[in-house]
Amino acid sequence: MKLRIVRPSVLVDISRLELGGVRLDENELRVGALATWEELESAPELEWPPFAAIAECAAAIGDLQVRNRGTLGGSLAHADPASDMPAVALALGAQLVLRAAGAERALSAAELFLGPFTTALGPGELITEVVFPLVEGSGSAYAKVEHPASGFALAGAAAHVTAEGKQRVAVTGIGAHPFLLSADANPLDALEEAEIYGDRFAPAEYRRHLAGVVAHRALDRARERMDKAR
Amino acid sequence: MTESVIGVSRPRVDAHDKVTGATRYAADGQVHGLLHARLVLSTEAHALIRQVDRDAALAMPGVVAVLAAEDLPIAGSGSDRTTEPLARTEVVFAGQPVALVVAESEAAAEDAVEAVVVEYEPLPAVVDVEDAMLPGRALARVTHEGEDGGDLESIHASVDKGQEEGDDEQLSGNVLDTVHRSAGDAMALLEVSDAVVSGTFRTPWVYQAYIEPQVATAWLEPNGNLVVSTSTQGSFVTQRELARAFGLPLERIRVIAEPLGGAFGGKFALVEPLAAGATLALGRPVRVVFTRTDDFQATNPASAQVTHLRVGARKDGTLTAISGKMIVDRGSNAGWGVEGITSLLVAGPYRWEAHDIRGYGVQTNRFTFGAYRGPGAPTAAFALESLLDELAAALDLDPLELRLQNAVVEADVGVSGNPFPRMGAIEVLERIREHPLWQSRDSLPDGEGVGFAAGYWPGGTEPAAAVCRVNQDGTMTVVTSAVDMSGVNTGFAAIAAETFGLSPDQVRVVAADTATGPYSGASGGSKVTYTVGAAVLRAAEAAREKLLKAASEELEIAPADLEVVDGVVRAVGSPDHSITVAEISGKALRFGGSYEPIEGHGGSAQTRGAPSVAAHLAHVRVDKDTGEVTLLAHVIAQDVGRALNPALVEGQMRGGAAQGIGWALFEELVHDESGQLLTSSFLDYAIPLADRVPDIDALIVEVPAPDGPFGAKGIGEAPVIAAAPAIANAVAAAVGIRLRELPMTAPRVWAALSSQEESRT
Repeated sequence: MKLRIVRPSVLVDISRLELGGVRLDENELRVGALATWEELESAPELEWPPFAAIAECAAAIGDLQVRNRGTLGGSLAHADPASDMPAVALALGAQLVLRAAGAERALSAAELFLGPFTTALGPGELITEVVFPLVEGSGSAYAKVEHPASGFALAGAAAHVTAEGKQRVAVTGIGAHPFLLSADANPLDALEEAEIYGDRFAPAEYRRHLAGVVAHRALDRARERMDKAR
Repeated sequence: MTESVIGVSRPRVDAHDKVTGATRYAADGQVHGLLHARLVLSTEAHALIRQVDRDAALAMPGVVAVLAAEDLPIAGSGSDRTTEPLARTEVVFAGQPVALVVAESEAAAEDAVEAVVVEYEPLPAVVDVEDAMLPGRALARVTHEGEDGGDLESIHASVDKGQEEGDDEQLSGNVLDTVHRSAGDAMALLEVSDAVVSGTFRTPWVYQAYIEPQVATAWLEPNGNLVVSTSTQGSFVTQRELARAFGLPLERIRVIAEPLGGAFGGKFALVEPLAAGATLALGRPVRVVFTRTDDFQATNPASAQVTHLRVGARKDGTLTAISGKMIVDRGSNAGWGVEGITSLLVAGPYRWEAHDIRGYGVQTNRFTFGAYRGPGAPTAAFALESLLDELAAALDLDPLELRLQNAVVEADVGVSGNPFPRMGAIEVLERIREHPLWQSRDSLPDGEGVGFAAGYWPGGTEPAAAVCRVNQDGTMTVVTSAVDMSGVNTGFAAIAAETFGLSPDQVRVVAADTATGPYSGASGGSKVTYTVGAAVLRAAEAAREKLLKAASEELEIAPADLEVVDGVVRAVGSPDHSITVAEISGKALRFGGSYEPIEGHGGSAQTRGAPSVAAHLAHVRVDKDTGEVTLLAHVIAQDVGRALNPALVEGQMRGGAAQGIGWALFEELVHDESGQLLTSSFLDYAIPLADRVPDIDALIVEVPAPDGPFGAKGIGEAPVIAAAPAIANAVAAAVGIRLRELPMTAPRVWAALSSQEESRT
């Protein structure tokens, strides 16, 4: 609206709905859609290796003013191709709770992103909650390289590793929307085939390389966290 | 005798008001009946204007007028930003102002801008500066209306222009100016030199990024006189430019320079013709405030430049010859360019046996080029200082010793043909040599490196005057019309206090305007302390003479036997025999008083500049995986003449170094092939934020300037110049790659590392 790209005729303020908070249940972590980055950054539940990527990612977003205002649900629904948290939601296999007038449904993060600023949210649908499954003994991390002006990810990667040796990596900033690398033995091979965006500042070839670098960094740190917690 | 106030750190006289928000800037003033203007900017880089359709905008609530070029009462026919503040028939860059929407509120004006429809007939956009020079190429401006650029050229390019071009190089009409500097047979000398290195260096358009965007407010006095209250670096030059634009006598124009929210060279009569033109057209007060996006697109950043350079030396490290071609992209600025100064500064503060340097000022369809802190200097130093490191490596010599061996001393004749005055090139290099960071450069972890580079700024001159006035209470008011861009008023207070015999907190400095103040010249060129400061010193001396004459009568002691200490005139050797300045002033400033007011007027007309040398030492870490360069530590040593106020001098050195770090690693205005600006906000245009600038170690070197007040000189521009090559040399030391293009962004560094890898395998 500030940039005059959209001019909605009606604006609904959802900021006073009670949709915040972080709650750790027996086998999942439930985060309200209005939880701010600042809340996530400092939530004690998110110091735990299975969810550490969430706090690490939140702390790397924008500046303090942005982190005090920006929310988890808002970021996912906006679907900026270079936003950070969608990668974490994908790597950790998050499920979204969507509400519309008189209806509720669940959607996996992997089904949400369709293109730049485009999601599978229907008209009148609101993300109310994001549910991260708990994998005991696992580790997670987020790594990125920022654009020096905007701070958006030139390439960002979230990684989740389990004690059984399973790993999931999702990347952001390099394509039409954040996406999961296939869960093969070496998920980085997927980058070779992926369609990568480039621009004058950071050509596609550089971003492809960078995605590999941050994916490795996130995987290493996730394993480190997992091993340390044992 | 109390201690000298010269050389003592004190807070800036304007610091409290600025920090507490009490300062009123040009956009803050309340003006009755004020209208607000917003710009309609060209969406084409090069086109003819077919039509400006204003009907829809005029129908919107609150809109008073939509003004195009023909609505402004412009007197001249020139095609510069003064005489063509709105494009007449041809737009020559994307972002050029085409119309002004004037409304009762800022919001109404902004809304209506989008309703103004401009019809263009596109022309080929000239964006490749080297290609544009070739004979037969399309021209960046097709409708030419000749008139010279007024006063602005002399401000910025106050160096000689070298020999006029005599030979018959074939060039297109886009080449507006050529400069050729030569002495000796540089080509022959390079042939026989023991080592010769060369390279082509590219630097981009760089934005001044002042905090306060361009703004001016204009109104008419009841008698029809024009008043302009503005954010400018010079009130008198703005007054002259407005007179030229509108054909008005000087006496009918009053320019008030308000406290400046940053300028760095970019605020010289760019916005005032718009505000004044609208006011003259409508008869009502008008304020023009550029939004940040307007400011990115429609102002006058530092020009891009391409430099081809070759340098040679003998086995023993003696520099032999330098030859080069320096191509300056002026954008649409037909009035002046930096080809003169950059072709001078590319020789650095070093002795050469021969030189052959050509400069070209070329028009393209990008921006209107303007001044930015050390115009033409950072790009010259980047080329030369990169090559000097390579030359030292080729000869297996220490790069710092190579510079020391060739550094100019007093009376050495430079590329300008004039002898250098006393300046501290050697002293500055020696300070860098002894720094622990330089000493430890060979014992760093993998991926880290230390580099250094030096550069100098010749220093400008302009006659200046000042008044020192003692008030009834014994305090002093210093009056100049200098714009305080960098803390100069605080320096004036120290100069006046020291000279007259007061403490600095008894001295106030006020900035007067063109109707009320003495002529002090514009703030730019690193000259204000050197020229206006000298005038303040003489004014304080003149006031002191009057004081002593009066005191002499009161005390019945000869003036020569009196001294003034902290506001008290006393007999030398007999301090009890005294009278205060306030008592004397009280006897003068009253009905029936007995003495002339204690006031002095002083002037200066410096005949030569006072060059300042600054050298930088940078410690970087290069991430070989991502190409990111992190600046771990940075040192600057500068010859400042005499630091009147060391805290302020260090502030200038650190600020200049930070902007130099911007040149090195971050800043670049980028156009696409059609001349559209891709970086028109701080989301795209990176500047060195606080978390990317290390705590800069500022080392003051004092080699007194022969003609400066207390040996002081202008120091604002020198510190920006050699930061980029120091960082480039540090990157080379860290990972063995030489970047020839600024800024050294992560993608560029990674690409260079990749091709280094390929050439190895």
